[in-house]
Amino acid sequence: MDVAVGAELPEWHVPSVSAEKMKTTAALLADPNPIHFDAEAVRALGMGDRPVNQGPLNMGYVMNMLAAWSGGHDRLRRLRVRFLGNVFAGDQLRAGGVVTAVREENGDRLADCEVFLTVVGGEPVLKGTATVALAPATEETR
Amino acid sequence: MSDSSLGTPSPEQVKAQIGRRFPGGTFTVEPWRAWLVADVVLDEPGGEVAHPLFVWLAATGATGLTWDDLFGWFGARASDGPMFGEHETTVHRPLRVGGVYQVSGEITSAERKVGRSAGPFDVVGYQLELYDEADGAHVATCWNSIVFPRRS
Repeated sequence: MDVAVGAELPEWHVPSVSAEKMKTTAALLADPNPIHFDAEAVRALGMGDRPVNQGPLNMGYVMNMLAAWSGGHDRLRRLRVRFLGNVFAGDQLRAGGVVTAVREENGDRLADCEVFLTVVGGEPVLKGTATVALAPATEETR
Repeated sequence: MSDSSLGTPSPEQVKAQIGRRFPGGTFTVEPWRAWLVADVVLDEPGGEVAHPLFVWLAATGATGLTWDDLFGWFGARASDGPMFGEHETTVHRPLRVGGVYQVSGEITSAERKVGRSAGPFDVVGYQLELYDEADGAHVATCWNSIVFPRRS
């Protein structure tokens, strides 16, 4: 895998954040916070009228972007993120990043990246850094 | 010390929680759960490697505490509006679908701060380690911070 510092990672898109998947996620996480499944609760808090996506899902979209670029989820070595804002049902998102370093560690070729998740037409909702293992040349030619 | 009946703890009481260990527990990456997690995060279900989101799911799912228990350590409850601050996943070996993981960890930092517009708040860091029950290998680390708003 030929990677240079400054290379942009291919963007990964969410066409429309699903309120139904938030409900399943609330059950999976045993998360009782109603802002993820009850629009009335969101309204009562003055946060609009659309359910709020779970933070871990936002992080997961960035992991998907990194896996699509690097060759799989088993490539991820580290991801550090800061949650900057809310994502609401119906939002369109794009995840992306840029390579900041390419290095070797314990025989692995690693790429350090800056990553983001942004609401299309809005502000970044997540920013962070990641490290992924790059496919060795021998693996690419198999 | 702190529980939600005590109201806002002092900065010293907050700091005293550093080093407090979670009871811990075990988490199994059940195939049905792996499928559903892949589905909700818009990934392709299937395969042997679990989605890396499972580092967070397994770690926070097997602390041995409920979220309200953890908030109670800092004199807070869910209705106080605690927020995710930052998160770091470190993977030493990818988690496997069907794998069983032991979780242990502790509070690593706790500090009272005052924001110009946000007013007083506490930032609490905690770190959890995941070990594969099959061979004892240390497979991942999950670090998080929670922000507790404090009414002035």
